[in-house]
Amino acid sequence: MPHEPTPLHTGRGTDENLLTSPAATAVLEDAAAAVAGLDALDTPTTTTRPWWKRAVSTGLPPLVALVVFLLAWQLVWASAITAEYKLPAPIDVWHAFAKTVADGSVWSILWTSVSRAFIGFAVALVIATPLGLLVAKVRVVRAAIGPLLSGLQSLPSVAWVPAAVLWFGLTDATIYFVVLAGSIPSIANGLVAGIDQIPPILPRVGQVLGARGLSAARHILLPAALPGYLAGCKQGWAFSWRSLMAAEIIAAGPLLGFGLGAFLKEGSDFNDMPSVIAAIFLILIVGIGIELLVFRPVERRVLRARGLALTT
Amino acid sequence: MTSTIERTDANRTGAPALTLRGVGKTFGAGSGAVTALRNIDLQVQPGEFVCLLGASGCGKSTLLNLVADLDAPTVGELQVGTARPSFMFQEAALLPWLTARRNIELALQLAGQGRRERRIRADELLALVRLEGQGDKRPHELSGGMRQRVSLARALAATTAVGEAEGRPGMLLMDEPFAALDAITRDVLQTELLRVWQATGTTILFVTHDVREAIRLAQRVVLLSSRPGTVVREWRVGDGPMELHTDLHTEITGRLRQVITSHAA
Repeated sequence: MPHEPTPLHTGRGTDENLLTSPAATAVLEDAAAAVAGLDALDTPTTTTRPWWKRAVSTGLPPLVALVVFLLAWQLVWASAITAEYKLPAPIDVWHAFAKTVADGSVWSILWTSVSRAFIGFAVALVIATPLGLLVAKVRVVRAAIGPLLSGLQSLPSVAWVPAAVLWFGLTDATIYFVVLAGSIPSIANGLVAGIDQIPPILPRVGQVLGARGLSAARHILLPAALPGYLAGCKQGWAFSWRSLMAAEIIAAGPLLGFGLGAFLKEGSDFNDMPSVIAAIFLILIVGIGIELLVFRPVERRVLRARGLALTT
Repeated sequence: MTSTIERTDANRTGAPALTLRGVGKTFGAGSGAVTALRNIDLQVQPGEFVCLLGASGCGKSTLLNLVADLDAPTVGELQVGTARPSFMFQEAALLPWLTARRNIELALQLAGQGRRERRIRADELLALVRLEGQGDKRPHELSGGMRQRVSLARALAATTAVGEAEGRPGMLLMDEPFAALDAITRDVLQTELLRVWQATGTTILFVTHDVREAIRLAQRVVLLSSRPGTVVREWRVGDGPMELHTDLHTEITGRLRQVITSHAA
């Protein structure tokens, strides 16, 4: 195809005219005003509610729900439909809990379980993060273990307990093995999902800005994958806490410390229903408490910075 | 202002900013191969503003990717006479976790500038695109037009910082940067871009499918055919307001239509 350049005028020479002539100045000023006007109209508006209103709207409904639940429980108990040993009164459960507080055993029970969960979770993070990166970025690794990794997520980690007991005996190794088996797949999958969901334009932006290798990972890849990674961590924590309780209930022995699961098991062995229910509540409270105190604030910060809403 | 214009003129002489000789790009191989570009010859002078015009499928974006070194040509010779080109995409493509200022600073940081320097430069660029005082906002707190201006500032930051680091002027590649905006915002941003171009003297290679936009912005309009993309023809655009160029507009539009209808059969 032949080129047919049509030279009409070379050089621009308008620079001075455009910048100094009165007409051009008017055009520029007009543009400035138009820019300012458009900005004012287009800027998304944000409304902030006072903190006490937010506190009431998020804190009140669960509180009301709790009171209703306790009232219903009290009513069912008072109507004596079920035997006392099956459904104790709320106040008896409270006494069972208060007793462990009074003799101080609640702290050692909580510490045993929570420290195990934290150590297990930390080790899972250290293993799952590079694993997730490998699966996400190396095609062969993904083809080889990607499906296995997501499959493992649906395997209840309690299924590992009998095997772990046979392998490691009734020791802490059994407990940690089960916790890791529960949380590693979640965290790794979360990271993989986080990386997969990065809009393809962002790595290209990094490339044209000159980010290669490690600096691309630090400035683009990891921050972009952070929301998915955090979601995976949150789920990983829930799984590690769940697996820990399952392991503590099933595997009990003198070599193992006395944690929440063992406390629950003991209550059940002695037909001590108030203790069993108190233990269930404690397990629930720790699980929710860590989620609310650790994960929720971090997640909120990360999502808010990106203009994403917190869905749960 | 005089000093700026002197610097601008200095930028607009010397070795070509970009030279393409017989450049072609084919994706895939065998019977499934698609030739996106064939035998492209193009030269861009330093400080020149060139628009690549073409319908969809003409390989405009592929051409920019080749120049930006995001992809490699299958055949031909491609020489970039400027520092590593910077790129502005059709979408703002800001990093959503960084503020507007940090988005601009990242370009400077990756070009090796220090913290203090970055901060000052980023504020200058924000002022240049009329976003003073908006630097601490995150992309989601900005409108589409504002985001695109931050993106422009980031691209300019990359151009100048890389240029300084390599000791030669930069080049800006723009891939339909205003296509997704409404007409008024687009009009305003075109004015802004011309202002910024005149103030900085950067070489600009601008891809568009809009004849009016091409005539309004460019010193030279290059029409590409579609599938495969080749240079059909080029026009120099003289100075003066749009009204002077109605004939040119009609001529280019007619030629573009011809290129498009040739694919109908």
